[in-house]
Amino acid sequence: MKIAVLVKILPDDQDIQVKGDRTLDFSRAKSTVSTYDLNAIEAAAQLAAKADAQLVAVTCGPKSINDSKTRKNILSRGVDELYMLTDDGLELADAYQTGRILAAMIQKIGDVDLVIAGDGSADLYAQQVDVQTAEALGWPAINGGTALDTDGATVTVARILETERESIRMPLPAVVSVAPEVALPRIAGMKDVLAAGKKPVVEFTAEELGGIAAPTVETVEILAPVPTPRKKQIFDAADEGAIDAFVAALREVM
Amino acid sequence: MKTLVIAENEAAARELAAGARAYADEVVYATFADPVTGIADKCLVVEVPEGQAKEAAFDTFAKILADEDPQMVFFEPTRRLKALVGRLAAHNGASVMTDISAIDEESVQTRYFGGIAERTAKSVTPVAFCSAGAGTFKDAEPSGTDVVETVEYVAPAVTLECVERETLPPAEVDLTAADKVVAAGRGFGSEEELEEARTFCKAIGAELGCTRPLTETEDWFPREAYIGISGLMLSPEVYVGIGVSGQMQHMVGVDRAHVAFAINKDAHAPIFDKVDYGLVGAINNVLPKINAKLS
Ligand SMILES: Cc1cc2nc3c(=O)[nH]c(=O)nc-3n(C[C@H](O)[C@H](O)[C@H](O)COP(=O)(O)OP(=O)(O)OC[C@H]3O[C@@H](n4cnc5c(N)ncnc54)[C@H](O)[C@@H]3O)c2cc1C
Ligand SMILES: Nc1ncnc2c1ncn2[C@@H]1O[C@H](COP(=O)(O)O)[C@@H](O)[C@H]1O
Repeated sequence: MKIAVLVKILPDDQDIQVKGDRTLDFSRAKSTVSTYDLNAIEAAAQLAAKADAQLVAVTCGPKSINDSKTRKNILSRGVDELYMLTDDGLELADAYQTGRILAAMIQKIGDVDLVIAGDGSADLYAQQVDVQTAEALGWPAINGGTALDTDGATVTVARILETERESIRMPLPAVVSVAPEVALPRIAGMKDVLAAGKKPVVEFTAEELGGIAAPTVETVEILAPVPTPRKKQIFDAADEGAIDAFVAALREVM
Repeated sequence: MKTLVIAENEAAARELAAGARAYADEVVYATFADPVTGIADKCLVVEVPEGQAKEAAFDTFAKILADEDPQMVFFEPTRRLKALVGRLAAHNGASVMTDISAIDEESVQTRYFGGIAERTAKSVTPVAFCSAGAGTFKDAEPSGTDVVETVEYVAPAVTLECVERETLPPAEVDLTAADKVVAAGRGFGSEEELEEARTFCKAIGAELGCTRPLTETEDWFPREAYIGISGLMLSPEVYVGIGVSGQMQHMVGVDRAHVAFAINKDAHAPIFDKVDYGLVGAINNVLPKINAKLS
């Protein structure tokens, strides 16, 4: 059995700066794995171990996502191989474009039985790429998984919705996206990181996958919101009277 | 212009149909059961057979889309509809913009990186799919007829068998209706420590919510209690964040609060830049003292 986990690599939001004109400055932001995709990797790794399956990670994005630290980060978490496609045509790619290209990658990898995606990407959080990849593959999909199990022919997904809890069984091949509570990301040890450096990384080009689809969405601008004005009166509890001053401010609004 | 509204719940159906009315001369609304009447020109009901996931209605919705041929589709951002409608869009090579925060004739706004920025985007496909959460069209009124049609179910090629389904107990508190909201964050070391937060809430007349990790990594709160981009988006009078670092994904949920407070042991926590009053101190040290003074 072969399981593929979809992992987005993007700039670490902790290092994004807002410039004076409210545009974003990514120059100090290093690439990182999209937060909730770490939970997806862990869920996939646990399922792969249980089902004695091979686990591959699949990612695509602009050229800037290709750095050895992030590659090792992914490969140190129970992933056997990493497949990547980097192309600057994917800068600001929409869910349709990303879904099409990821589906083409999965087809090219071959023999994939189950695709696992994260809860949503840290930048767009559209919760779309999982189902759109499934549609491009023509495979069934279920989202919001909190527990997964497979017998090799079907996958059973427990999910929690807004007001219901349900369990869905569907035949493989299929796509499942998982909520963060599905599994806590592991802390990779030194040995895992060293071993990760020796694992295969396969790079595809957009050309060999039939090119990147035309965008469905055009980004007009990306601007930081004007922050709500705040008084920012900060008291230090170590100082005399600080708690009283804070309580007095609270009483004002009670 | 014609707009198709797809919603599972009544409140969303009303708001989206009202929002759609502002842009479209014809509004068609589709749902699974218990249709709301008087909000659209036509209501379509899709009945999914017992023992199937609702997503199994994909082929039926694909037929509705082909028959109705709308220029715009508004859908409620539930998990199921994100899957079902997202797939419908992909099937048609159409754009999807989820959880829009604003819309005009030209473009929509969505949040980028959890609210660090707002992204203005335009659909470049003949039909555009948008999901909008509660409050996006809150001042609009829906109108329409009582025409309800049950759509013939088109069985999917692949079965999505529902092995088990259970309704979750209703939420205990409604944070969206609360004037004052306190959020507990990871700064709370244990579930017991939350008692001090509850005492504090009683003293100031607030409801207690939390940051996302407290419903996920810990299960100290039900999932409907977390505030932020992927949870509750609130506009309370007063917000107090206790042991909350002030990450954007959480703060966008409360940045419309009239007055904001924070308690955090780290003087450099980003939340202190986003509040009116802050107290630098450890919860177990300062919160009991605050509670004593308030009682
Ligand atoms: C796509 C996406 C969507 C997300 N959506 C949401 C969302 O909707 N809502 C949400 O909340 N989060 C969301 N998150 C998570 C978010 O990024 C943050 O991780 C989360 O909000 C942090 O929660 P926190 O402030 O409780 O914890 P932390 O960031 O760990 O902060 C804990 C704070 O407590 C302080 N502290 C520690 N001990 C004490 C003590 N004894 N006394 C006082 N202070 C103490 C620390 O100084 C620190 O500032 C999302 C993340 C992603 C990637
Ligand atoms: N560029 C990408 N490469 C690989 N996986 C992706 C990419 N974008 C999104 N995904 C996957 O799809 C999920 C949903 O993404 P999104 O629709 O952007 O919220 C993510 O959690 C990832 O698992």
